[in-house]
Amino acid sequence: MSIQLVGMSHRTAPVEVRERLAFSEEVAGELARELVRGDALEEALVLSTCNRVEFLANGEKDALRGEVFRCIQDWVNGLPVGDESFYSYDGRGAVRHVFRVAASLDSIVVGEPQILGQVRDAYQRAKDAGAIGGFLDRLVSHAVHVARRVRNETEIGKMAVSVSYVAVELARKIFGDLEGRSVLLIGAGEMAEAAAEHLRGAGTGHLYVTSRTSANAQRLASSFGGEVVEFNRLLELLQSVDIVLSSTGAPGYILSKSTAQGVIAARRNNPIFLVDIAVPRDIDPEINDVDNMFVYDIDDLQQVASANMKHRQHEAEAAERIVEAEVDRVLRHLQAHSAGPAILSLTDRLESIRRGELDRHQSKLRDLSAEQRDAVEALTRGIMNKVAHHPIREVKRSAADPRSRVSVADIRRIFGLDE
Amino acid sequence: MDTDGILLLRLALLLYSLGLLDSFYCVVKQRRKLFKPALYAFAAGAVLHMLALGSDAVVQGRLPVQTLQQLCSMAAFFMTAVFLAVYARFKYESLAVFMFPVVFLLTLAGALGGAAPVTYRPVLNWWISIHVGLFLLGYAALFLTCVAGVMYLIQERELKSKRPRALYYRLPPLGKLDEIGYRALAAAFVLVTLGLIAASVWAFAKWGPNWVVDPTIALAFLTWGILFAMVLSRLAAGWRGRKGAYLSIAGFCCAALTWVVNSGAHTFMSQ
Repeated sequence: MSIQLVGMSHRTAPVEVRERLAFSEEVAGELARELVRGDALEEALVLSTCNRVEFLANGEKDALRGEVFRCIQDWVNGLPVGDESFYSYDGRGAVRHVFRVAASLDSIVVGEPQILGQVRDAYQRAKDAGAIGGFLDRLVSHAVHVARRVRNETEIGKMAVSVSYVAVELARKIFGDLEGRSVLLIGAGEMAEAAAEHLRGAGTGHLYVTSRTSANAQRLASSFGGEVVEFNRLLELLQSVDIVLSSTGAPGYILSKSTAQGVIAARRNNPIFLVDIAVPRDIDPEINDVDNMFVYDIDDLQQVASANMKHRQHEAEAAERIVEAEVDRVLRHLQAHSAGPAILSLTDRLESIRRGELDRHQSKLRDLSAEQRDAVEALTRGIMNKVAHHPIREVKRSAADPRSRVSVADIRRIFGLDE
Repeated sequence: MDTDGILLLRLALLLYSLGLLDSFYCVVKQRRKLFKPALYAFAAGAVLHMLALGSDAVVQGRLPVQTLQQLCSMAAFFMTAVFLAVYARFKYESLAVFMFPVVFLLTLAGALGGAAPVTYRPVLNWWISIHVGLFLLGYAALFLTCVAGVMYLIQERELKSKRPRALYYRLPPLGKLDEIGYRALAAAFVLVTLGLIAASVWAFAKWGPNWVVDPTIALAFLTWGILFAMVLSRLAAGWRGRKGAYLSIAGFCCAALTWVVNSGAHTFMSQ
């Protein structure tokens, strides 16, 4: 019995290959079922996202690769899929890879949070397809645990790497908490709307929407539950709102430095965060020099995003150490919970007891005839087999079902198999 | 200082330094969970420090604020107390990195004096000790204002530069630093005002109207004036953010200067 993994990801295959193998969730479940249909594999799981497809299985050594190619033949036909597109791992390497994937260390955007959900979904699909037994069940729950540890103990997922989230994060760095902060959205634009959405998710308060064309403002206000304000009331609003997202199609600045100085005086130096997503820009970048006014344009946001990316990569090194430690711990744990070694130790143990007892009574058995001696041999062996029968059945059952009340570890302890 | 006191103080110093090392590690490595030991070390250090001061107070029969060493030690204890109170509310580990080097040095200065012979200045009775205690606690709060100001300036520079570097990730948000600074300033103002009123009334009763002539007293009033100006600039003129941060730092420096000049005894007392 061995754990093995075959996969293909953004590291090994270009998108034109990956897109052909991006299975839907249903197909992934079907494939898992197909993989365990033969005798070679006992359990299987198929994870498919836009950046990777991974086949994870527990079964006969080295059986997975062949089985995978048999199952996905229809998809692969005619594709430039060489052996180099796929990687294989087994044993420790496979466990480590699963953990790294779940902890988002192997993602294009290191630390992105979606992958863990995708791993869980893949597991659920495989389980529904009846392809999951005790071993993968435990492995996946360990992987989830490792991913959570990485998220909690490192800063890997903390700093935003998408431009619209960067705006939210900067607002937090300026104001502290965003609860109840008012937001002004000037003009429509995909990025400004995304940022407004994220801000609202962070708990900001009243949203004002203004636009030079009122139809646009109306649409935005209704989709965000904001209040439409006339464009000529802009200056008045700037005196009270905390965060401004600007993305008008205006050819020049709609806010000049001298106006801004008047605004900040009227605000009694209450800080204001101006996010200028428009190209050409809406807000004079020199306003950033005014105390308590913070102006970020699209390039600035991008710059922060890439700095955050570097920061994440730095954090990833700490995360790798966590993964390594967990792999060691989990392998020991899985070993203690797998049936094969436990059964072997149990039969060894009983046999050594039987031998020991026979040797101890050697002197008394010396006078027996060969036939009688055979009978004693058969008798003792029979007793041992009967004694071992139920424990072995329990070991097999508990290894296959993690919810069973008796664990393999219990049986190891009861029979003193680790002594 | 008696020998029990000095031993307790040295233990407190050891705990502060261990806590400081751990805080540095957590903040540099950004491992917030590892701050627990530092927090416990600071808290345990504060308890020992308090016992050291208490033992001195019992031996001397008054608040141990007679010598420069004792003043340093007491100020350090108040700073630790202020840090623990602020941490309980805001949970910013980076504050420790900025505050505890100073706490460490002050405690060290307090501990270096060794078991000095107890000398009484009869004039420093319980009553005037309270004036000194209030002032010291006020200075500790003002120190926090200053630290928050320094951190504000660093974080503001990071945000204005638009190129986040190491400190951007490690320092608290501007709004919170401003809030901490302002609250600490308000507390410092109240404490120093109370301390000054107490001392004035007492001195007036004892020496009559001539005591105000003393230059160090004038300096103490100047400190109060600076604090008053800081509070006023914030409330009336809306000076906050960078200007407020500069003002906090300047205010603390003035107060520290007064303290150094004043820390012995006021000249009129020896008259």
